Amino acid sequence: MGKPKAKVDRVKCLGCGGCISVCPQDALSWHGYRALVNEEKCISCAICIRTCPVGAISGEVK
Amino acid sequence: MRYDVIVVGGGPAGSVTARFAAESGAKVIVLERRQEIGSPVLCGEGVSRKIDDWDMLKGKRWIASRMDGARIYSPDKTCVTLSADMAGNETGYVVYRDIFDQELAHRAISKGVKFMMNAQAISLLKDKGKIKGVKVKQFDEEFEIESDVVVGADGVESKVGQWAGIDTRLDPKDLETCAQYTLSNIECKDAYCDFYLGREIAPGGYVWVFPKGKDVANVGVGILASLSESGMAKRLLDKFIADNPRLNKGEPIRFLAGAVPVSNPVETVRDNLLLVGDAARHVDPITGGGLTHCLEGGKLAGETVGGAIEQQDFSKELLSKYENGWKETFGKKIKRNYLVKEILLDMDDKTFNMLADSLKDYKFDELSTYSLIKALVLKHPTLLMKLRPLLKVSKKLRR
Repeated sequence: MGKPKAKVDRVKCLGCGGCISVCPQDALSWHGYRALVNEEKCISCAICIRTCPVGAISGEVK
Repeated sequence: MRYDVIVVGGGPAGSVTARFAAESGAKVIVLERRQEIGSPVLCGEGVSRKIDDWDMLKGKRWIASRMDGARIYSPDKTCVTLSADMAGNETGYVVYRDIFDQELAHRAISKGVKFMMNAQAISLLKDKGKIKGVKVKQFDEEFEIESDVVVGADGVESKVGQWAGIDTRLDPKDLETCAQYTLSNIECKDAYCDFYLGREIAPGGYVWVFPKGKDVANVGVGILASLSESGMAKRLLDKFIADNPRLNKGEPIRFLAGAVPVSNPVETVRDNLLLVGDAARHVDPITGGGLTHCLEGGKLAGETVGGAIEQQDFSKELLSKYENGWKETFGKKIKRNYLVKEILLDMDDKTFNMLADSLKDYKFDELSTYSLIKALVLKHPTLLMKLRPLLKVSKKLRR
């Protein structure tokens, strides 16, 4: 089983961009008005999960 | 498609930069990722009265209310009051940011600036490492726009800087993660902005209540991302409102999430490229306010770019006129306030209560960091050790 990768709930996300600005791997970017994780780049550090003000990001094990 | 200047982002910094570049004769286009300038709003909507002197906004439609001052509440609810003359950056107007941003865009357009909506910059065009434009995605189409200069005005989440090799990634201890309601049906009996401090209410940040009228206010929280857990900002805000008798009868008419950089500024120029506004981290690390810097910095950036077009010289050296300009105008203040932020973060609630107690009856003749520290150190000599590095910087700044 791999490490959990960050996943953005597109219904909860309000598009503030905080997660994009703190991602140490530049793994998050805009997809439309919501943040989107590039799984290849995600290193499971969970910084974005803790940063999200509305709890829209969680870890998902594939 | 070819322009002299491409501005990525149609917020205040982008529009003001575009306007002043166009005024100096440049052909400018602004790319806006979203479908409406200024909307959805991502802001507490407070701005200093300083902007009155700059004549950048027409009319009064962007003003929600005029503030008479600010109150700061310590964790034990001791109140320190600052009247408008002394609170400086902490007071002024509460604005409608959507109208505010659109007014600035109008001004740019009246000077000949083009705007393109729903247009997301996806990369920089480069020729042997030299920046020569932007690759854009708009609906299903991807296309290239060439330019001599690219301005990154793409906000806290800036990518333009990264693409140009400027490390704009933020350490979680340098980001405030925010949530805000606009509450209707609450009592705003006076025109004061209220700030509430405390580890329990807002770790590494504060709760604000900014009145937009007699019975409506922006009520928000910002917490340091390094002290945050998933969804914590919204939870803390909901709790603060539920526990506050003035606010808990209010009904929300808007909810938003936000992110505010509270870091030191980054490098802002490269050959053929500049960063402005939040993308440049031009935010006061204590208050989280950035609008005045967007206007001041945008003007400096626009004029510098205009000069570059005139001389057909787009080198980092020439564009550095902008960097030197903002460093002189507000860069030193940001650096000093970053230092203050670090010291404040070290303090516990007890210290804040003690400080507020010392200041509650203090009549400030001016509100500067220097006079504040002087007042505090007189009462609490032991604080001196902690504050010494700050005192040095503040003294230097005053000269």
